Amino acid sequence: MSTSVNVVFQPLNRTVQVEKGVTILQAARLAGVLIESPCNAVGTCGKCKVKLDQTSRSSIRPYGLHHLSPEEEEQGYVLSCEAEVLGDILVDVPSRSHGTELKILSHGQSVEVTPETYFQKRYEPKDDRTFVFAGDELVGLEQSNTEDQKYGLAVDIGTTTIVVSLVDLGSGQEIASASALNPQSLHAQDVLSRITFASTKRGLMMMYSELINELNRLIERVTEKSIVNREHIYEVIFSGNTCMIHLATGKDPAPLGKYPYIPEFTGAVHLSASEHHLGVSPFGLIYVPPVISAYVGADITSGILASQLHQQKGITLFVDIGTNGEMALAVEGKLSATSTAAGPAFEGMNITCGMRAGAGALEFFQIEDDKTITTKTIGDQEPVGICGSGLLDIVGELVANGVIDKNGRFVKPESTLLPASLKERLQLRDGKRVFQISRQVYLTQKDVRQVQLAKGAIRTGIDLLLRSKGITSDAVDRVLIAGSFGYHLRAKSLIHLGLLPDSFDGKIEFIGNTSKTGAQAFLMNQSLRKEMEKGVTEIEVIELANYGDFEQVFVRSLGF
Amino acid sequence: MRELKAKLFQDLSDAVVDMDEEKAVETSHQVIDEGIDAYEAIEKGLAHGMDRVGELFDQEEYFIPEVLICSDAMYAGVEVLKPHLKGDEQGEKKKVVIGVIEGDTHDIGKNLVKIMLETSGFDVFDLGRDIPPQQFVDKAKEVGAHIIGLSTLMTTTMDGMREVVRILEETNLREQFKVIVGGGPISQSFADKIGADGYAANAADAVRLARKLVS
Repeated sequence: MSTSVNVVFQPLNRTVQVEKGVTILQAARLAGVLIESPCNAVGTCGKCKVKLDQTSRSSIRPYGLHHLSPEEEEQGYVLSCEAEVLGDILVDVPSRSHGTELKILSHGQSVEVTPETYFQKRYEPKDDRTFVFAGDELVGLEQSNTEDQKYGLAVDIGTTTIVVSLVDLGSGQEIASASALNPQSLHAQDVLSRITFASTKRGLMMMYSELINELNRLIERVTEKSIVNREHIYEVIFSGNTCMIHLATGKDPAPLGKYPYIPEFTGAVHLSASEHHLGVSPFGLIYVPPVISAYVGADITSGILASQLHQQKGITLFVDIGTNGEMALAVEGKLSATSTAAGPAFEGMNITCGMRAGAGALEFFQIEDDKTITTKTIGDQEPVGICGSGLLDIVGELVANGVIDKNGRFVKPESTLLPASLKERLQLRDGKRVFQISRQVYLTQKDVRQVQLAKGAIRTGIDLLLRSKGITSDAVDRVLIAGSFGYHLRAKSLIHLGLLPDSFDGKIEFIGNTSKTGAQAFLMNQSLRKEMEKGVTEIEVIELANYGDFEQVFVRSLGF
Repeated sequence: MRELKAKLFQDLSDAVVDMDEEKAVETSHQVIDEGIDAYEAIEKGLAHGMDRVGELFDQEEYFIPEVLICSDAMYAGVEVLKPHLKGDEQGEKKKVVIGVIEGDTHDIGKNLVKIMLETSGFDVFDLGRDIPPQQFVDKAKEVGAHIIGLSTLMTTTMDGMREVVRILEETNLREQFKVIVGGGPISQSFADKIGADGYAANAADAVRLARKLVS
């Protein structure tokens, strides 16, 4: 008897033959069909659901039903990472997985730098050729005079999104930029799942090559837009967190995933662009800025450079609000840094109606003085889910308006003085209290708990980092919020949540994607590289888990 | 007397649920003054309260801080009652060896499970964090544990749990211990895959699971 079965994926109508017992997700990966699986098949995020028809349902072993609502179960949804195929089946992949446009932050605070690029060009009229130098070394010759055609790329490799910026190395002007979803995130959303995915040679190769392919597509887009010849792109800066830098250069990130979390690759080097198959000049180079630690990466080095943190007078705190919650504190120019396991809630993961910042994501939520609600979604359409900034807004506003108490609990609608417009939204769903936002979108008590854990982690990092330097929060002069969703956040929500201390009110600045703008500064001025390479070695990295009262501070930070 | 006893037990239970450490201590003293059995007061009063706390946690009414404050109240009461326990009553508790698996240093979840197990009458041996698989097995053998509890927050270290089960099988000890797993990236299907005896989604769930496995 044969143990092979056929799996057909719709709407692509692609068939693959697999062994019985293989999961639907494994079959999809074999068939080259993309099913988004943010948690990389550990069965915790519930986002990889697919739909089966009546007959197919009897040919699988489902598991994982706890992530599906009774209606979804009824309709034939299963989690593709857990459902095992036992017979021939027909799988319908929901359209949300087909890749929607993402809202990607590509601008940020930047610093004026004097052009002093690593690559130089010199035209020799007598033989009508242009000499190309990398540092002091002659690396290439080009026909005729190409002196004014000298370009570079600043690349921000985010865990979720990638931004490529084409820069004129003569003027320092950004000529074009393009962004895309980091293709790796479709297989594994967060850094740790990514490390696990890359733990096999094949997995690492897949992460690496998919990323390089996407970069090449983006390079094509920016050069097409601007009619720049790709051969005239000489240098590329790779900015990103430590794990992304490993994956982008084909290095095994495994050591980052295990205590004592020592990175194998620490940046501060040049690599050959052609060896990494980048579609730029054949003698092009990649420069990777220095990383600070396993969880404080080159993106933070870029951020420090872009915000000139090391040059600030007084006390400045830099925080990247995201999964790894990186932060750096500058006290009269002296830096210390740490990171904290905030988890993926800010990316919309682990949140019942959570999603990335794509079309239909609720990104703004406000309760007005008359207690009516104003919301805004990306693409101004009917909300289909909640993205990170929307989530923080919702919880922040509900706390400020007494719908969520200081312990994080939804108040009991019958025993409070809430206005009717809010009270009626506190409903029961599958026996549990939820706050209904729109017809499809709601916030559960469990979601609030996830936000508490995430914001508690960041607040703990801030409190302990400040304390390690003997500083109280009111002594901080400026608070810089960087990171992929920086600009979309509102200071008010961050304070209502207690993610930031009250005393930061009025001192908060959103500085946007400084991983990119810092990379541009690195691109334009090579002396800054030496300066930062030295500077990074002087940053004191603080390991929060080694603080005796880490747990007490964390627990104290969970309330609102 | 029976009425007073029932009232005091209820007060103890309520003191824990209401996070009222003072009341837990006060009522415990009252229990002693009235000559009521200390063991029974812990069982039917304080521990009963923690059971209710576990339920509230499960229903998402209580969160981590509340559970910890409740357990403080419970421990404060136990401190008062403990000297009055008769020797044989402290008797045979079921033993659990617990820890965070090698490569991971995140231990808040594990600590919470430890507290909930302790307050539910288990004898917990906490190995700490970043613990090699072999060490779990060694400790379990040494203390004659009933259960080995494994925790991790990181997907990158999950495989260490599989290794614990493997060592047990290889050394023919698999039948001696129940293995339970939990933590952020862990699921029931993972527990099934590695051949663990159970998965708990949270600390309250862990107590239920542990009780079921040793009953």
